[in-house]
Amino acid sequence: MNIDITGARIFWETPIKLPVLGRLCISETLVVSWLVMLIITGLCIFLTRDLKVENISKRQALAEMIVETADNFVVGNMGEKFRYMIPFVSALFATSLVSNLISLVGLRSPTADLSTEAAWAVVVFIMITGQKIKANGVGGYLKGFTTPIVIMTPFNILSELATPISMACRHFGNILSGVVINALIYAALAVANRALFGLIPGAVGKFLGAVPFLDVGLPAILSVYFDWFTGVMQAFIFCMLTVMYIANAAQPDE
Amino acid sequence: MKVQDLVTLVPWTFVAQILNLFLQAFLIKKFLFKPINEVLNKRREAADAQIREAQTARQEADAIKSEYEQNMAAAREQANEIVARAQKTASDQSDEILAKAGEEARAIRAKAQADIEQERKNAVSEMKNEISSVAMDIAGKVIEREISPEDHRKLIEEFIENVGEAS
Repeated sequence: MNIDITGARIFWETPIKLPVLGRLCISETLVVSWLVMLIITGLCIFLTRDLKVENISKRQALAEMIVETADNFVVGNMGEKFRYMIPFVSALFATSLVSNLISLVGLRSPTADLSTEAAWAVVVFIMITGQKIKANGVGGYLKGFTTPIVIMTPFNILSELATPISMACRHFGNILSGVVINALIYAALAVANRALFGLIPGAVGKFLGAVPFLDVGLPAILSVYFDWFTGVMQAFIFCMLTVMYIANAAQPDE
Repeated sequence: MKVQDLVTLVPWTFVAQILNLFLQAFLIKKFLFKPINEVLNKRREAADAQIREAQTARQEADAIKSEYEQNMAAAREQANEIVARAQKTASDQSDEILAKAGEEARAIRAKAQADIEQERKNAVSEMKNEISSVAMDIAGKVIEREISPEDHRKLIEEFIENVGEAS
C-alpha cells in the first residue's frame, strides 16, 4: 500500500502569478492559523471577563497567573528594559503551542509548514540584528563580523544566518516528524487491521478489515510524546531562544 | 485538490504568518495583558493604600499610648502624693491624740492628787475634832470643873497646834 505524506492542502489560489510572491493562495496552514488566533483571542477575552480587584474567580486567578508567568519569563531572562517584548513573546509562545496541539483534533498544524516557522524566525532574526545595531552602531555591527581575524568573516556571516535557519528547522522538524510518524503508524495499523480481520473468511472479514479497530489506543499513547511533549517543548524552546538571542544581542561587544 | 510540497517555503504564507504573529501580539496585549495589568495595578494601589492606612493607624496608636503612659505616670505621682499626705495627716492625728491623752492623764492625776489632799485635810480636821472632844472630856474629868467652851476651844487649839508642830 502507498502512504502519501504531503504538505498543506491549498484551498484557493489566484490565477495571476506575481513576480516574487508567486500565486496568492489560501492554504490549510493559513486557515488553521486563523482558527488558532481565534482560539487564543477568544480564550483571552473569556479569561478577562468581569475582572475584580478583590475576591477573584478561579478564571481570573488563572489569567493573572499567565500574565505574571509571562512577565517573569521575559523580564527575568531579558531584563526590565525589554518589558515591551512581553506581548510578542507571549504571542509567539501561545501561537506555537496552540498550533502544535491543534493536531490533536485532527487538523493540520500550521507549524507543520516550514513557511510559518520561517516567518517567525525571520522576525526574530530582524529583532536580533536590530538590537545588535542599536548596541554597537552600524559600524560596530559590521566590524563584529571580522573578529577575531578578518579571515573569519564568511564563517561569522554563515553562523549569523544559521541562527534563524536552525530555529525554524528545529521547530519544523520536530512537528513534521510527529506528522510523519503519525501517518506511518495509522497506515501500519490499517494494514495490521486488514491482515488480522482478513483471517475471517468471506464478506464479514472484508467488512471488519476495512474498519480500523486497531487505530484506537496506540496512536493516543504515542501522541502523548509526539504531540503533547514535543508541542510544548518546541514552543518553549523557540521562545527561550528568542529571548536569549535578543537579550544577548542587546549587550555591546567588548 | 492541490497540495503543497512537504517541505517548502510559500511566500504568501510566509508574509501572512508574519502579519498574523504581530496581529496576535496586538490582540494578546489588548485582550489579556492590558486588562489584567490594570487590575493588578489597582490591587497594588489598594494594598499600598492599606499599608499607608495601617501606618497612620499605628502612629495614632503610638501617640495614644505615649499619652496614656504620661497620664499613668501623672496618676501614679498623684497617688503617691495622696498616700504621703494621708500618712502625714495620720501621724499628725496620732500625735495630737497622744498629746491629748497625755494631757487628760495628767489632769486626772492632778485631780486625784487634789482629792487625796482634800481627803487628808478632811481626815486631819476630823481627827482634830475627835482629839479635841476626847481631850476635853479627859481634861474635864481631870480638873473636874466646867470651863467655858470658848476657853476650852482655845486651849485645845493651842494644844493641837503644838502637836501639829511637834509631829
